[in-house]
Amino acid sequence: MNVDTTTRSPADDDGAKLYGYVANFDKIDEFLDAVTKVRKAGFTKWDTHTPFVVHGLDAAMGIKPTKLPFLVFGAGLTGCTAGIALQWFTNAFDYPFLISGKPIFSLPANIPVAFELTILFSAITALVGMLAFNGLPQLSHPLHSSRLMKRATDDKFLISIEAADPNFDLIKTRELLESLGPLQVEAVEA
Amino acid sequence: MSSLKPEKGMQYWRSLDELAQTPEFQEAVQREFPNDEWDRLPPATRRQFLKVMGASFAFAGLTSCRWPKEEIVPFASRPDGRVPGVPEQYATAMEIGGSAIGLLVTSVDGRPIKNEGNPLHPDSLGALPATAQADILQLYDPDRSQRLVYRQSGQEFVKSWDDFAAWTGENIAGTGAGVAVLAEPSSSPSVARLRARFAEVMPDGSWYEYQPISRDAERAGITIAYGRPLRVHAHLDHAEVIACFDADPFFDHPAAIPMSRQFAESRQPSTQGISRLWVAEPAFTITGGRADHRQAVAGSAIPRLLAKLARELVANHNLALSEQAANLEPAFGPVSSEGDAFVTGLAVDLMSHRGSGVILVGPSQAPEVHALAAVLNQALGGVGNTVSYTEASDPERPSHMQAIADLAASVASGEIETLLILGGNPVYDAPADLGFTDLLAKVPNTVHLGLYEDETSQRCSWHLPRAHSLEAWGDGRAWDGTLTLQQPLIEPLYGGRTVAEVVAAVLAESTSNGYDIVRETVAPVFDGGDFEKSWERSLHDGVVKGTAQPLVAVELDGSGLAGAGAPLAELVAAAEPTAERPELVLTADRKVYDGRWANNAWQQELPDAITKTTWDNVLQVAPPTARDLGLSEGDVVEISAAGSSVELPVSLVPGQAAGTLTASLGYGRTAAGTVGNSVGSDVYRLRTTSSPWLVPEVDLRATGRNTILANTQDHFAIDAIGFGARNSRISTLVREVSIDRYLADPEVIHHMDHHPPLVSLWKDKQYEGEQWGMAIDLNACNGCNACVVACQAENNVPVVGREQVINQREMHWLRIDRYFKTEPGVGPLDVDDAEIAFQPMTCIQCENAPCEQVCPVAATQHTEDGINAMVYNRCIGTRYCSNNCPVKVRRFNFFNYHKNLEEVEKLQFNPEVTVRSRGVMEKCTYCVQRIQNVRIAARNDNRPLRDGEIVPACAQTCPTRAIAFGDLNDPASEVSRLREDNRAYATLVELNIRPRTQYLARLTNKVGGGKSSGRAPAHHGEDPTHGKETG
Amino acid sequence: MSTSTPASSSYLNNTTDDPTRRAPLIVGDNDFHSVTNAVCGIVEMPKTPPAWWIAFFISVSLTGVLFAMITYLITTGVGVWGLQTPVAWGWAIVNFVFWVGIGHAGTLISAILFLLRQRWRTSINRFAEGMTIFAVVCAGIFPGIHVGRVWVAYWLAPIPNQMSMWPNFRSPLLWDVFAVGTYATVSLLFWYMGMIPDLASIRDRAKSKVRWFIYGILSLGWRSSNRHWHRFEMAYLLLAALATPLVLSVHSVVSFDFAVSIIPGWHTTIFPPYFVAGAIFSGFAMVVTLVIPTRKFFHLEEIITLRHLESMSKIMLATGMMVGLAYSTEFFIAWYSGNSYEAFAFLNRAFGPYAWAYWIMVSCNVLVPQIFWVKKFRTNLIVLWIASILINVGMWFERFVIVVSSLSRDFLPSSWGYYRPSIVDVMTFVGSFGLFMTLFLLFVRFLPIVGMAEVKGVMPQAHLKDVAAQGHGDYHGDILTEKGEV
Repeated sequence: MNVDTTTRSPADDDGAKLYGYVANFDKIDEFLDAVTKVRKAGFTKWDTHTPFVVHGLDAAMGIKPTKLPFLVFGAGLTGCTAGIALQWFTNAFDYPFLISGKPIFSLPANIPVAFELTILFSAITALVGMLAFNGLPQLSHPLHSSRLMKRATDDKFLISIEAADPNFDLIKTRELLESLGPLQVEAVEA
Repeated sequence: MSSLKPEKGMQYWRSLDELAQTPEFQEAVQREFPNDEWDRLPPATRRQFLKVMGASFAFAGLTSCRWPKEEIVPFASRPDGRVPGVPEQYATAMEIGGSAIGLLVTSVDGRPIKNEGNPLHPDSLGALPATAQADILQLYDPDRSQRLVYRQSGQEFVKSWDDFAAWTGENIAGTGAGVAVLAEPSSSPSVARLRARFAEVMPDGSWYEYQPISRDAERAGITIAYGRPLRVHAHLDHAEVIACFDADPFFDHPAAIPMSRQFAESRQPSTQGISRLWVAEPAFTITGGRADHRQAVAGSAIPRLLAKLARELVANHNLALSEQAANLEPAFGPVSSEGDAFVTGLAVDLMSHRGSGVILVGPSQAPEVHALAAVLNQALGGVGNTVSYTEASDPERPSHMQAIADLAASVASGEIETLLILGGNPVYDAPADLGFTDLLAKVPNTVHLGLYEDETSQRCSWHLPRAHSLEAWGDGRAWDGTLTLQQPLIEPLYGGRTVAEVVAAVLAESTSNGYDIVRETVAPVFDGGDFEKSWERSLHDGVVKGTAQPLVAVELDGSGLAGAGAPLAELVAAAEPTAERPELVLTADRKVYDGRWANNAWQQELPDAITKTTWDNVLQVAPPTARDLGLSEGDVVEISAAGSSVELPVSLVPGQAAGTLTASLGYGRTAAGTVGNSVGSDVYRLRTTSSPWLVPEVDLRATGRNTILANTQDHFAIDAIGFGARNSRISTLVREVSIDRYLADPEVIHHMDHHPPLVSLWKDKQYEGEQWGMAIDLNACNGCNACVVACQAENNVPVVGREQVINQREMHWLRIDRYFKTEPGVGPLDVDDAEIAFQPMTCIQCENAPCEQVCPVAATQHTEDGINAMVYNRCIGTRYCSNNCPVKVRRFNFFNYHKNLEEVEKLQFNPEVTVRSRGVMEKCTYCVQRIQNVRIAARNDNRPLRDGEIVPACAQTCPTRAIAFGDLNDPASEVSRLREDNRAYATLVELNIRPRTQYLARLTNKVGGGKSSGRAPAHHGEDPTHGKETG
Repeated sequence: MSTSTPASSSYLNNTTDDPTRRAPLIVGDNDFHSVTNAVCGIVEMPKTPPAWWIAFFISVSLTGVLFAMITYLITTGVGVWGLQTPVAWGWAIVNFVFWVGIGHAGTLISAILFLLRQRWRTSINRFAEGMTIFAVVCAGIFPGIHVGRVWVAYWLAPIPNQMSMWPNFRSPLLWDVFAVGTYATVSLLFWYMGMIPDLASIRDRAKSKVRWFIYGILSLGWRSSNRHWHRFEMAYLLLAALATPLVLSVHSVVSFDFAVSIIPGWHTTIFPPYFVAGAIFSGFAMVVTLVIPTRKFFHLEEIITLRHLESMSKIMLATGMMVGLAYSTEFFIAWYSGNSYEAFAFLNRAFGPYAWAYWIMVSCNVLVPQIFWVKKFRTNLIVLWIASILINVGMWFERFVIVVSSLSRDFLPSSWGYYRPSIVDVMTFVGSFGLFMTLFLLFVRFLPIVGMAEVKGVMPQAHLKDVAAQGHGDYHGDILTEKGEV
């Protein structure tokens, strides 16, 4: 395995300009071991980048379950209530009319619309919530200028450690990454 | 052309001469008719001319209420209290076939918009046949003649009435040698008076009367029987047994309305039972549809059937004929009535109801048959009770067929220099064997007065526009002789004049305008008293009280009858027609009559009562006959007789006599107008002077072509499954039961329902206040279609035309469902006999209306008074309501059906009913506008609504009063009473839709109480629950 | 033999499969990169193949026909169709139900098969979702234009208006508005969300600035961060969980249009399940019809394998028989209920004037799928393709039979009729296919038609050896199990 550890000459190493380091792997198990090591090293501002969801990676990184489901559940309740309220207000309160000798307000006829609105609200919240939590869309990000990142959406598995991390050290961190046996390590400018 | 302008202007505004002098008027003329517009118009393009005129008609409508108030007296309220926009009703009249029928015409701001019957008129009783109602469309018909035309050597000149006066001055003078008048028969005393004047002034002139459809045969028959022409009056209210031989008293008779009503009343259940109707006829009539016993008999076999009856009565029931009648004995003596259940049954029935039976014979039967009927009525003691006679007007006149033949003869001999054709359309409807069209060309000067520039006008040197009956003064007599006054509701739109006015002008009478002529005529009638008072009174009533002809005592005339024996024997001996040598029976059309309403869109689109065909006349054939001839529905066949031939589409009608073909007159017009031209085929071409109604042996040839008939029912040849299901449903949809069973078990109708208990998922809505409901008595309804046209006129229901009817998009809010009830287990093509069940069907205003819940925008919803309301401007046109309507009475505007209306046609619209545009659904509203009008009136008077005060259009015009409308929450109301009746039932009750319109079951009265449902079809496998009670 | 057994039945029936050896979902020696190349390659084609242009030209012309017909309709009136009384709903509604039905496969594959952990779905779900959206677009047109006054169709929505009137929420048509509206929205969200990572792939491979820019925007700046993946997966799971009842509800609500009415032949409680089964049936048929030529044309045989097609043909066999069961149940109930009107409605269907349509329906929907009992036919692309087309013909006729034959003969024989479509009806329907194909062609040309990220996730290389050995496969499933651990 050809490891190119010096992507830039140490001369112009400058933490201020640096976003962080990126290292890429192409074997899942090596990658997972590396991830575990990075986590053990106590980094907080770091991330991994994979073309697809890698089984066991969340555990390896120790990611907490997201709150999204509660948000969506709330949205669902809102949708359902809105549905019933809309139908009650329009047909039973604001402008009631006599239809087929039926009661002015009867739940059975109102279930379909209430149901659909429940789904609609929840679904929109699921997507929007996910994007919001992920801080997307974010069209400009230092990592987008990374060369290695280009393969993160194809077939490579990356670890990125931000210079902003308290444990970050210009030299040590790179050595750590190199010690994990990556294909390459890249310093990404901020 | 430039000469046209002032003439048009003058002609148009004729009656407003004084106004014409005023500068405002001149200005108005300028505004209405800019010169350049006029010069661009060639005389030929009348329609183009109309487009220009368009806007000005509204103006005409307004000005038309400027007539002197004292001339016209509103029926409802006096004109001095006139409020713009408030409808008023005026009593007037119109003539159909030489008998006047009283009208009550609704007028809004000087626009007559609806014809209704005049309750005070003996032939109307407030009701009106479809034809007379639809006649209002002729008034606004843009195709109506709008100008005087003089033709010379192929050129057309537009002339004025003054030009015509000048012309008559030169050509019609002296003793009137060579002058002949061919007039439509008229009951008008004024015309009679002027005719007398004509005879005085022009002793050498001659006057002929012709109409293609008349009761002359009856008149001749009575002349045989009683020695002089008498008018026959049947009193069905006194009759317990009614026997019709090819007679249709409920439709084809000037007194059809009174007779229909009398019969309907005689059918109301009572412990004494109800009257019984026997009908023998070649083709179904609406009378036949009501028969308890009906026999399909060839037209040529009717005399034999009546002879059989006579023999049965005389030989087996010892009915004594008076000795004068003995001469007829040889005619029916030899006939055997063996095994003819109809005859034997009828004979028994007549004998057991002596004095309260009546035998009626139709106008298409020979005089001798009428004579025999008269003899039998006399012998059965009906005369004076069920039948009575009055003196006929103009006893001297020859029959119309005779008259036209005589005229033809004198024209042929070149005696006639000048022929004035006043009304009528002889070129179209004269018997074919006269070759009248060619003869007309022989006459140097011919003048035609007509509503249209029709077939006759086009071949005359002069055409004069005739005034519509709503435009002119006139008078007439009802069938019973009652003097009837006709007053105009609007100035002549196209400057027409009446027959009387033209004759007066020709004779250069001192009084030549209609108003004065009529006053002069009726003056002697009001003997003594204040003329103006009685005049006003009579105008107001529309009739002059107590002017009916007195009944006369009659005495059989032996000599006349003696001569009738031989011809009768001949008729009796006539051979039965067969499928190979079928006979063709001609009939007056139930819609366009003799062709005069051919250009009337309402009439054209009206489904025929029996065939349900619109926009066509058909050749009615009995299914078995068709099978033998290898014909099927819609096949176009060529019928030829005596050298001429006609092509007609075949329509299979159960209950048609075998070997008998029936076709109606009045179609195939070539100059009727844009609506009526080339609709159907002209069967006048097969008509002869000698035998106007029956063409004995016709040749039938299939052309190999097949057309789709524009039927509103049975749109396609029915398959076995549909046929079975239809038959199995009829007995529950249109319920009927024999009077005996009904009296034995009054609950029998209710037992016809088979359904689980009707429980709602929710608490039923309680309806407070007035709750509208309707009850339709199927025992009274005879399917005459009057209500259909009334609804169309009242509610601005559009006409959609032939193509759209074929596409099943007819718009009638009210339709009359016609079901043939046939023997169980008979296939669709083997049905030789059938009974008819009529059911007027319109929105039944369900309380749990299925249409409402499915409308996504609530465009149809319930009002507090229980009407299933349609909100046109909310409707987006999903048509879901129509799908979910169990009786399919909702009508959808697939296109903008009003788009192509001429301005003048819009004058007829009822301003109180929205004119629907395309894309919206519409349907019966119980005439909500009428409900509101009465409500408002009642509120203004601060009084509660009275029962019977609100009358929907259909109920108003129903000849048999079959439709009752009122408040269901008022236990005293008529409708509540009827809904309590044991005969009341709701259609499709098992759907729990709670219709506000309910039906009253029909009662039958067969001999021996034969179950009405003896014909009820077999219960099919797929239909376990229905018709059990009726089996 | 083992490879022939689809994953769909492996965990249900382990007798047919060797649990130690899984049949591969992707054949050939593909790695992640080759998958990326295969899929992105289509979008990155330097030159659009002529075949595409030809197909596109035809489709666009047909779309033109569609809009010409609609213009004619709106300017003239719905009378230009064959509608009448009693049959006031004709081809427009038939087409609506037909297209909505087709629009069910996508969401079903993405959502229900996802929850059922059917890994094989990954190769076709993007494709099917796309088809769903386009079918729903076509479906959406018809209820819109079939109303008599299109210019006020917006009254269907609860918008305050000058009449201060509101729509009537008791009407199934209004339920339709909400159901189809929601369905279209959610399907679109689901489709787009699933596409974000793949759009990012295209972005990252972009050679041209324009492509880089466009796909950059579309992919919302996705940087395949696992912290994002984590929420992404949760959102995907939630959407799947929401879409599943939704997809079942949509055709149920559509069926209410008929079931809630009182017309014999419409008023049936069996309709919701019956319609849903039919929808899935026709949806899968349409996927097959489209996927067979597409995979061939773009050489995706290794990703969309024969096994996928075979699995779908099995689903068609199953749903086809459900539909057949529904047909027979209707007849049984019609007889058993003793309701003469309903009894007649069904007799009339099978033997009345519309019998021809009924028997076309039965043969296409019930008889044709029976060939899928035979593996030879399941795996023969020609047979499969023709069968799938016949099935869609049959499903169109099913809707025709339900809508038209029931209406043409209801309660009163006096108002019975016979409906004939007008040429405008026909051209409008044909045109709707043009629109469908146009959208589809644009999709295959410019968007990733296979969910790369998901396909990679189910490739053997995506798993730790020990994990793979345990037979874990579906990473979504693993997400679920991980929950417990974290």
